[in-house]
Amino acid sequence: MSETQAETQAATQQPKLLGARVTRVEDPRFLTGNGRYVDDIALPGMLHVAFVRSTMAHADITGVNVEAAASHPGVHAVVTGAEMAGEAKPITCDSLVPTWQATEYPALAHERVRFVGEAVAAVVADDRYIAEDASELVRVEYSAREPVASIEAAIRDGAPRLHDSWEDNFFVKRHFNGGDVEGAMAEADGVLELDLVSHRHSGIPLECRGCIADYNRGDNTLTLWTSTQIPHLVRTGLADVLEMPENSIRVIAPEVGGGYGIKGHLFPEEIAVAVLARKLGRAVKWIEDRREHLLACIHAREHHHRLQVAYKQDGTVTGIKALLYVDCGAYSVYPWTSTMDTGMALGILPGPYRIRNYECEAYSVTTNKCPLGPYRGVARPAACFSIERAMDEVAHAVGLDPFEVRRRNLVRDDEFPYESVTGLIYDSGSFHEALEKVCRDGDLEGMRRLQEEARAEGRYLGIGFSCYTEQTAHTTNEFIKRGVPIIFGYDTAIVRMDPSGTVLVHVSTHSHGQGHETTYAQVVADQLGIPLESVKVAFGDTAATPYGHGTFASRSAVLAGGASLRAAQKVAEMLVRFAAEHLEADPGDIELAQGKAFVRGSASRGVEIADLARWAYHRPEKLPDGMEPVLEAVSSYDADPGTGTFANAAHLVLVEVDPETGGVKLLRYAVTEDCGRMINPLIVDGQVHGGVAQGIGGALLEEFVYDENGQLLTTTFLDYLLPGATDIPKIEVTHLETLSPFTLEGIKGMGEGGAIGPGPAVASAVADALSPFGHVFVNELPLTPERVRKFVQQATGNAA
Amino acid sequence: MKPPPFEYFSPTSVDECLTLLAEHGEDAKLLAGGQSLVPLMNLRLAAPEVLIDLNGVDELARIDRDDGELVIGAMTRHRDVASSELVREACPLLAEAAALIGYPAIRNRGTMGGSLSHADPAAELPCVTTTLDAEMVVVGPGGRRSIPARDFFAGHFTTVLEPSELLLEVRFPAHGGGPGWSFHEFSRKSGDFALVAVAVQLPGDGASAGLAIGVGGVGDRPWRADAAEGLLAGGQRGDELLQQAADAVGAQAREHGEGHADNDYRGHVAATLARRAFATALERTGR
Ligand SMILES: Cc1cc2nc3c(=O)[nH]c(=O)nc-3n(C[C@H](O)[C@H](O)[C@H](O)COP(=O)(O)OP(=O)(O)OC[C@H]3O[C@@H](n4cnc5c(N)ncnc54)[C@H](O)[C@@H]3O)c2cc1C
Repeated sequence: MSETQAETQAATQQPKLLGARVTRVEDPRFLTGNGRYVDDIALPGMLHVAFVRSTMAHADITGVNVEAAASHPGVHAVVTGAEMAGEAKPITCDSLVPTWQATEYPALAHERVRFVGEAVAAVVADDRYIAEDASELVRVEYSAREPVASIEAAIRDGAPRLHDSWEDNFFVKRHFNGGDVEGAMAEADGVLELDLVSHRHSGIPLECRGCIADYNRGDNTLTLWTSTQIPHLVRTGLADVLEMPENSIRVIAPEVGGGYGIKGHLFPEEIAVAVLARKLGRAVKWIEDRREHLLACIHAREHHHRLQVAYKQDGTVTGIKALLYVDCGAYSVYPWTSTMDTGMALGILPGPYRIRNYECEAYSVTTNKCPLGPYRGVARPAACFSIERAMDEVAHAVGLDPFEVRRRNLVRDDEFPYESVTGLIYDSGSFHEALEKVCRDGDLEGMRRLQEEARAEGRYLGIGFSCYTEQTAHTTNEFIKRGVPIIFGYDTAIVRMDPSGTVLVHVSTHSHGQGHETTYAQVVADQLGIPLESVKVAFGDTAATPYGHGTFASRSAVLAGGASLRAAQKVAEMLVRFAAEHLEADPGDIELAQGKAFVRGSASRGVEIADLARWAYHRPEKLPDGMEPVLEAVSSYDADPGTGTFANAAHLVLVEVDPETGGVKLLRYAVTEDCGRMINPLIVDGQVHGGVAQGIGGALLEEFVYDENGQLLTTTFLDYLLPGATDIPKIEVTHLETLSPFTLEGIKGMGEGGAIGPGPAVASAVADALSPFGHVFVNELPLTPERVRKFVQQATGNAA
Repeated sequence: MKPPPFEYFSPTSVDECLTLLAEHGEDAKLLAGGQSLVPLMNLRLAAPEVLIDLNGVDELARIDRDDGELVIGAMTRHRDVASSELVREACPLLAEAAALIGYPAIRNRGTMGGSLSHADPAAELPCVTTTLDAEMVVVGPGGRRSIPARDFFAGHFTTVLEPSELLLEVRFPAHGGGPGWSFHEFSRKSGDFALVAVAVQLPGDGASAGLAIGVGGVGDRPWRADAAEGLLAGGQRGDELLQQAADAVGAQAREHGEGHADNDYRGHVAATLARRAFATALERTGR
């Protein structure tokens, strides 16, 4: 290549931003305290709400006396469930699965309460202080019913029913049978019976829920600012329950301080606040406090699994029979229904392993507890806990290394795309390589040396691992299969270039920690040949963004990233057409790079994209014949065939257990993850870090404890323990990049994965640490010190 | 999580505080670091009509030596206790325990007087004062009186303080600086309240005066492990005897912990921490 050619190439090409470790463009705003959250918004004349919440788990409401509260100075209204029932329909979210039994979740409980913390009345006052003062004056009379406070209590014969029209306490009963399980059991060298329990916990965003409703009587329009992941779905849901035209409702999700799936719901409080604003003709604000959040937002993860695992002496698992119960709490949640966890767990339980014979019964159970909903990982932490612990137990039974047993069962690279026994299509993956790489990169050998040295000193170190495959960006076909009423398929982007040549991208997803303002901008800037700084990504306002589903299920990078890419391509085509006309060249020869449109191979024959943009809007006479003065395109992306793309990862952890106190300390944590092409490895690392930290919380600390009367005992951070920075070790992350054959650029989702692996990895490591005492099956999460002590005693007993 | 309304006073002297207390009696609460009281008010578990803020009473924040005793004023912050050279020298057990209270932000605000008056059975400072036989100096309408730590705590979150009284300072006796000391606690995560805490003060070889073992987190108030103290009073420190003493701490913990769902577990942890605390304390005596 001659020197001038090289110069030309440098000038007319732009290094790709896709794949670059670009620092997040949103961070300066957050780090300098300039984020604007719901609570930062104040409207003229705004009033404040406090909710009166049920103190009973299960009771009939026999009377609500609001007199004293209503006459308290500064109070504007006190609304009860009975009044609310006339203003808004209850939330209903019905599954299409045949065994489905429906619930009605009212904005304010009316006639009956079904969990402690359910909102019963709302007090509106000049400020939140007064609202809380007056809420203490509301007298609610209850007639107690027998509470159903656990799965066992709900499923036993003669259990009281929560919902009168139901036949039992099951939202849904699922059954799957694939292959020949009975045959596998009959031919097995051994069958293990394993019970596994994951206790209830949840995603705990830094910012609790909150919303402001403002109603304009003049034109019957409602604006709701709310801390949500799904502004459009909230709008649709509101229109339904309020019986308002959807075009009269605007939902704005401003900065959202963490969601994790928990904020991906239409909530009773949002409806109540909207009704209050409509009733009073004043803006009304509700900011959830932490106690309310822990009591009444969304809980997750409560699974009991019972497995029978058939294995051969060589360590291969030949069949699994599973019985799954999920405690879904009192009501079905919008838009997911209470079928999500059982459906997901049933489908993915065999995980990354080649298990062809599988039977599963799964039950979504209703109890007098806070409703259960999706939280980062949705059911997969429990499913992964089951299958990974099963692999370790098989290894123990046949006397092989757990690593080797995994290797013998993992789906091989040459089997992709692999259709699992439950019909999931694993598009591509690196199951073996990820496991081997995490052992290398995480220094398994070094860990083993440390373990040996420690044992010589009487200290108990343990090594554990977990593998999983994470279904991400599942769209139309997958959601049809699940029987949810709304098919979360596509998401959509509008790319708009303005007269100065900068670009505004409006997407239907929402970013609340995921860094979309950076990643989508990378994708768009590449297509348009403009610098990253020229692209701004906006979301959250239903009046400005195209309709779509929002951010959840590790889908945004693939779907809204893909939609942004396609819309940007369309705008790029417009620029190319215009430039070709202007430069008197063939459109096929035009390249966009470095803010210019060039004729390929000729750095001197170019035009600034900013000039093209200016002319397109201000000098339309320069446009080619028939081209409209609109540098704007909308595109939607569904990632055909809609079955999702499967990311995978392996986790490796080194723990130290104090067998006398039951304390567990994490010494090292390593992750190798594969999410196909990474748009931005820095952001991928951050997502893994956050997910792993939450997974560690669920593995060791976090648990909602209900007593037998359905009273929640963990209503502050004094009792509900979250991991802090000092509880999380340095997390070493390395990557593989196995592209998806199904998605644009081969991108896979990965937002949830980090939270899936830690539970089983930590449990496996604790069991390993205790092995000098004897073998023990660690089957319960979180591993509180008392439980670990129980396992020490079991191990000692097993050895005796 | 907003407190009910209250009236607020900001006195600058102890006398002023006493006058306000006399005037408002049971309706009033003293506000120190606010790290316990304010959350309780926000949760509406406490609803004082009057708050008397001690933060402007400078005379209450001091660390001094007086006639061999270490004197710590009620408004001294945990952070100052933990980092004071004087405390470390005169009463290292106290310095070690204060550093384990909560997180830096909590230690910067929380105070000696607040923690003792709040009387959380799992808190570090009540356990240390009980172990070291500190004297609580309180002042009320009738003047000053001094209450031994062992008589000061009256149950879960209760002390013998009268509503008209305030805690002025705490006096730690001179032998508090004995050569062997150790504070071991176990909590579910770093900075969290102790599930169980054991404080040990060991005199030099052979001596018995000043031997003390205190336990926090089990039962309704901190207590002294007298059975174990009895076993070690003879001055012997053999491994077997130390194990017996640790077991005695565990046994006494099971008695005190009657009613905890996890009583057995706590008893086991108390014995474990006692054994470890003995070992650390002995090491520090240079033996
Ligand atoms: C997140 C968090 C973690 C914590 N972790 C720990 C921990 O690990 N260990 C621990 O011990 N503590 C812990 N605490 C509590 C902390 O140490 C408090 O500082 C302490 O319990 C109370 O001290 P205060 O100065 O904040 O008192 P306040 O909260 O201001 O007052 C507490 C009570 O004492 C009364 N009072 C205060 N001063 C006097 C006085 N001079 N005379 C009479 N009555 C008085 C008040 O009226 C009130 O009833 C934690 C607190 C938080 C918020």
